[in-house]
Amino acid sequence: MNTVELNKIRKSYDEFVAVDDLSLVIRPGEVYGLLGPNGAGKTSTLRMMIGITVPDSGMVSMFGEPLRRAHTQRLGYLPEERGLYKKMKVLDQLVFLGELKGLSGHDAARRAGQWCERLGLKEWTGKKVEELSKGMQQKAQFIGAVVHDPQFVVMDEPFSGLDPASAMVLKDAFLELKNAGKTLLFSTHRMDTAERLCDSICLINHGRAVLEGDLGKIRAGYGKRNVQIKYEGDARFLDDPKLVQSFNDYGNYVEVRLATGADPQELLRAATACARVNKFELMEPSLEEIFLEAVGKANA
Amino acid sequence: MRNTWLIIQREYLERVRQRSFLVLTLLLPAIIVGAFVIPSRLSRMKNSKTQRLVVVTSTPQFGEIVRQQLVTSTKPGEEASPDADKDKDKDKDADDDDKPSRDYAIEVDSNSSEPERTALRNRVTSGDIDGYLWLSDDAVAARKVTYYGRETGGFMEKSWLSGQLDRAILLEELAQRGVGGAQADELLKPVKLETMHLEAGRETKANDRGAFFAVLIMVMLLYMAVIFYGVSVMRAVLEEKNSRVMEVMLSSATSTELMAGKLIGVGAVGLTQIGIWIVMAGVYALPALAASASTGEIRIAPLTLAAFALFFLFGYFLYSSIYAAVGAVITSEQEGQQLQFIILLPLIVAVFMMGPVMRAPDSPVAVWTSMVPFFSPVLMYVRIAVQPPPVWQIALSLVLLVVTIAGILILCARIYRIGILMYGKRPTLPEIVKWLKYAKG
Repeated sequence: MNTVELNKIRKSYDEFVAVDDLSLVIRPGEVYGLLGPNGAGKTSTLRMMIGITVPDSGMVSMFGEPLRRAHTQRLGYLPEERGLYKKMKVLDQLVFLGELKGLSGHDAARRAGQWCERLGLKEWTGKKVEELSKGMQQKAQFIGAVVHDPQFVVMDEPFSGLDPASAMVLKDAFLELKNAGKTLLFSTHRMDTAERLCDSICLINHGRAVLEGDLGKIRAGYGKRNVQIKYEGDARFLDDPKLVQSFNDYGNYVEVRLATGADPQELLRAATACARVNKFELMEPSLEEIFLEAVGKANA
Repeated sequence: MRNTWLIIQREYLERVRQRSFLVLTLLLPAIIVGAFVIPSRLSRMKNSKTQRLVVVTSTPQFGEIVRQQLVTSTKPGEEASPDADKDKDKDKDADDDDKPSRDYAIEVDSNSSEPERTALRNRVTSGDIDGYLWLSDDAVAARKVTYYGRETGGFMEKSWLSGQLDRAILLEELAQRGVGGAQADELLKPVKLETMHLEAGRETKANDRGAFFAVLIMVMLLYMAVIFYGVSVMRAVLEEKNSRVMEVMLSSATSTELMAGKLIGVGAVGLTQIGIWIVMAGVYALPALAASASTGEIRIAPLTLAAFALFFLFGYFLYSSIYAAVGAVITSEQEGQQLQFIILLPLIVAVFMMGPVMRAPDSPVAVWTSMVPFFSPVLMYVRIAVQPPPVWQIALSLVLLVVTIAGILILCARIYRIGILMYGKRPTLPEIVKWLKYAKG
């Protein structure tokens, strides 16, 4: 039984098609990344998935059934940007959100207190939300999404605007939930974040799914056609079109995309022939590259 | 249901705990006391200065009659005097409405010659007297009397003065025809009109002043509640929308639950505040008000009270649901301010209609305008307070009101749902209509 299944959902606002026949499957217990540039339709997709909006057509299933209101009690949602009452005290707010998800006032207070302690918000529980820093608010928001111990947590750009320390705390909380068997979905436009955290992804662009499925398999499908080279000396070897399709010079190293059918050993020999090679590593393509290539294919 | 209840609780507690709630609760009665009670107290205070007047008549007898009228008769105490001693009479003046607000010392002068007029003029200028009344035979025959003085007096004083002179002249004329003393008083006794309300064979004393106050208080409260709390509903929606709390809320509750919770929660805050004011008024202001209106007892029928509660609540919900919808459509408070007047317009029209409806509560205009939902909270209530209309009319207006509120609530919940997910620009009317079609779910 899949946690979520989207079957050809579509949403348009006037002429603008925000989500175009999107299908995806999220399996229980996995961390799923919804990726794409800004304006690709990520937030629109999330909103339909949790029933804030209704798709024009297509089908949303949750926990193996068509999405119903009752399902919302088993999911948590963290919106993009802050979605808390500014004038309300942190703990009151978290208890209120918990109660809305069906907890008793007492349980909600206990769990919110535990989470606040774990995320270092303990001294702030009596403060108004507006007195908190952005990172603190995001932590409070996160607690609001998970206080009722949901089976499925949906987060829209959870790391945007966070300093590295707060992002780390949040990431740890993430993994804790994952280890507890929860299903996590988050959207991001940062491919590197997704690359580190996700089991499966869906790449969307202009409202359409460009790639969907297990991240490892997607990567394997693109093969090891990238080489990272650190060298000193002549860079002439990069100019051979039979070996090198393209390259990206990052200063410290250069990332090379091999030409179709080229042998990496061939390139290594060519490199050592004219330069001193300090590092030569065959790499899986980065998500960013995969995305760019997939989008390129889709547009072609 | 549970969600709605939770939202009601949150809205209520968060608002009641705010300092602004306490401030407004205390400040408004203070303003009302300042604006109504103090001037009315001041006006009932005696002017400490005695008016020294000279009455010039052709005969001393007529002069004496005028003097008696001015010195002994009553005078409505309406004119505030700037130099009154504020504390002196504070306690005892609660029920002395019948005494004139200032004393008159009258000097009778039967020399109506031109040199005398010049002499009096000089005495006024020198401050020896405050003024003189020129009541020569010609002036009396023409019923055109002139008062000369440094202070020419307020409107109420003038009408009082002319009333007293009318009476004096009548008394004089009667005396000349051989009618005097008690007989003349008997002839001049004024008529006191009492109206009785007849319904189903029962007689009740019509209480116009009570009805008027009941209407005035209700309309004031409704107006205030709509302005304060309608706007606060609008602001609450706008704030949620701008801070995107709404998305979190909608992931837990339906837009109808949110809307209903907000309206009832904020409404309960308003009722709490009004309840506190009523208690405060009961403790302090009512005895004073009742005393100041000692001539007309303020008695309000139970039907009027029930109508007050019902029409106040429905009126409040009607208008604040419109405010909520506006809050969902707009993107900033400035835009809301432009729209506020349009929301209040029907209420203002209803207030303007109050006068005609009170004068003729059974006229077709009154009957039909009091059925229109946007007017009925004021106008049907006015009719009930002034002269209870047939039950079917009350029932029909209530049904129409409830149906309209339900309709607007459903409509608003839809706008709310879609409007909140649209950011950036204010939608046009056709767009709103389109949203209403989208928002079936």
